Amino acid sequence: MTNKYIKCTALAISVASLSGATLAQDDAVTIYGVKSMSGAFASYGKYADMGSKLAVDQYGELLGEKPNYKVIDTEGNAGKALRKVQEAISQKDAKFFDGGTLSSTSLAIGKEVNKSGGVFITPAGADELTGVDCNASTFRWSVPTYGAIRETVIPLFKEHPEKKRWYTITPQYVFGEALLSNAETVFEELGIEHVGNSYHSLQEQEFSGYLTNAMASQPDVLLILNFGAQSSNTLRQAINFGLKNQMTILVTWSSGLEQFQELSASVTEDVYFGAQYWHTVDTPLNNQLVKDVKDVYGITPNYPLAADYISTKILLDAIAQAGTTDPTAVANALEGKSYEGPTGTETVRAADHQVLKNYYLLKGKAASKMNDSDDYADIVSYGKSFPDESSLECSGI
Amino acid sequence: MNLYLFQALNGIGLGMIYFLISVGLTIIFGLLNFVNFAHGAFYLLGAYLSYTAVVVTGNYWVALIIAPIMIALIAWVCERTLIKRVYHLPHTYQILVTLGVALIIQELCVSIWGPIGKHISPPDSLKGVFQLGDFFYPQYRLFVIGFAAVVAILVWLLLDKTKFGALVRAGSEDAETVSLLGTHTHRLFSITFALGVGLAGLAGVLAAPIRGIHPFVGPEILGIAFVVVVIGGMGSFTGALVGGLLVGLVQSLMTTIWPQGASLMIYGAMAFVILLRPYGLFGRA
Repeated sequence: MTNKYIKCTALAISVASLSGATLAQDDAVTIYGVKSMSGAFASYGKYADMGSKLAVDQYGELLGEKPNYKVIDTEGNAGKALRKVQEAISQKDAKFFDGGTLSSTSLAIGKEVNKSGGVFITPAGADELTGVDCNASTFRWSVPTYGAIRETVIPLFKEHPEKKRWYTITPQYVFGEALLSNAETVFEELGIEHVGNSYHSLQEQEFSGYLTNAMASQPDVLLILNFGAQSSNTLRQAINFGLKNQMTILVTWSSGLEQFQELSASVTEDVYFGAQYWHTVDTPLNNQLVKDVKDVYGITPNYPLAADYISTKILLDAIAQAGTTDPTAVANALEGKSYEGPTGTETVRAADHQVLKNYYLLKGKAASKMNDSDDYADIVSYGKSFPDESSLECSGI
Repeated sequence: MNLYLFQALNGIGLGMIYFLISVGLTIIFGLLNFVNFAHGAFYLLGAYLSYTAVVVTGNYWVALIIAPIMIALIAWVCERTLIKRVYHLPHTYQILVTLGVALIIQELCVSIWGPIGKHISPPDSLKGVFQLGDFFYPQYRLFVIGFAAVVAILVWLLLDKTKFGALVRAGSEDAETVSLLGTHTHRLFSITFALGVGLAGLAGVLAAPIRGIHPFVGPEILGIAFVVVVIGGMGSFTGALVGGLLVGLVQSLMTTIWPQGASLMIYGAMAFVILLRPYGLFGRA
């Protein structure tokens, strides 16, 4: 009887302590990483997840508890991502989100998180995130199309002022149109002749026809305004057609190291690329990040990893600074925040929640000149270009 | 030279690549009356195997021989263990089974080769461009056009001029009678399936230096193959050739006439052909 009593007491204590631990766990801050872990953009999500996880793992105690990290797989689909985020908000009281590879996903999640009063940081490309569709909950780390064009076209033209005839290849949807419109503005400012443009659909993977159009216009520079697999295929096919020997090629919106790894130096040599991040940038945080990522994952950090690492880190820092998990206080802490990021000193502009950071112009190296297996490019120039606060389209904050 | 003439020449080149992508699908449908939704996935696997062969041997030509043979062998095993069980079932079941096979292959590729795409350079001897006046055309694409033409002739000879071809065609009409005459029809079907899928693998190897290798390219390739096969007529070998050339020409010319609608017009061409000839250009009712 006594034995049975002792067993029951021990069981009760165990259950009580487990419940306590669970309760304590529930009090800890949880960051929800919205990543495309499967589907067509899984290559991006995998590294973005690594970045967020590293930031959370490295973080000490936050408001007296170790923070948690949970991943939400968007499956590369905005609709599925939105449904899963809604579930996390309604069933788990989720407040803090980061990630969102696709612009459509990030726009949808930003609106949903704003409706529930949370905080969301994204590296997505759509200018609307900090433009017409900005809101009090959404912050964006990546440079908008305005800066991407100005920090690539202008320095390249300064290096080659004799190259005055430019041809563009553009995906026909809002992102491509934004890049093209910014490019045309810069062309006008610099006196560049825009000798032609080929639009293509978002499904296109065969670019020989567009490249033939470009060749017929005999430009000095081919400006590629698509991105991801499309820009890789455009570039690969342009090299097949021998365009590298006939003109300078600039890919304004590259996906960074992973694109170089995919294409190899035989394709990227002497081609110019715009990039949000590059692992050889000499800043204290980036040097530490490169070391940590090599120690933990055995790889060199690429753009999705670095972007989601810093997004998660500044979100955690803002929660610590606010001293509460109240999303409004956390958003207030983020507004105007300056910090040391992977690209140097970065600042969250309060007016539109856009992070002001550097954008890079890279030039692909020959395989024989690479110092290590990831040393694909030299940084030609870098800088910060953002629309003036007076010209912002954001009015929702 | 006139830009439209450039685009027409480019369209012929593109069309031969599309023919290679779709010929395996049409053979399997025409001779086995089997709908293979894993066609794009086998193309993908062929491309990845060629990548590994190039990495290991450093020689593209070795990859061009090894990868399609390996794909044909994998297809043969797949047919003996799984596909043969659904020949007699309606097409919807065949689609379900092959869609499952496609997903397994796709996820295996991600697991083995990772989610980041891969690149194969054309062999050194085909890296340059061929120049005709102001027109430049990659030597590698010219090689693919020539190679596709040779493949077309060989496949036609095999199916139309050999005993094997006659037996396969007879078997597709009346398998029971052919079997009663002493032919092992199951083996015949296995070989035909392996041949059709091996051609998909060959297309993957040949297209890799042009279109790269991405783990999620299978559905796109399957879409192109079906458009070509529907235009040419389901199961028609000649139809695949003419359909491929037509799609290539339409896409290439439209990139100059209406660039943003170039991809769309492939499907426009398909709709137009179906309106005029519901069974395709060379299809039978």
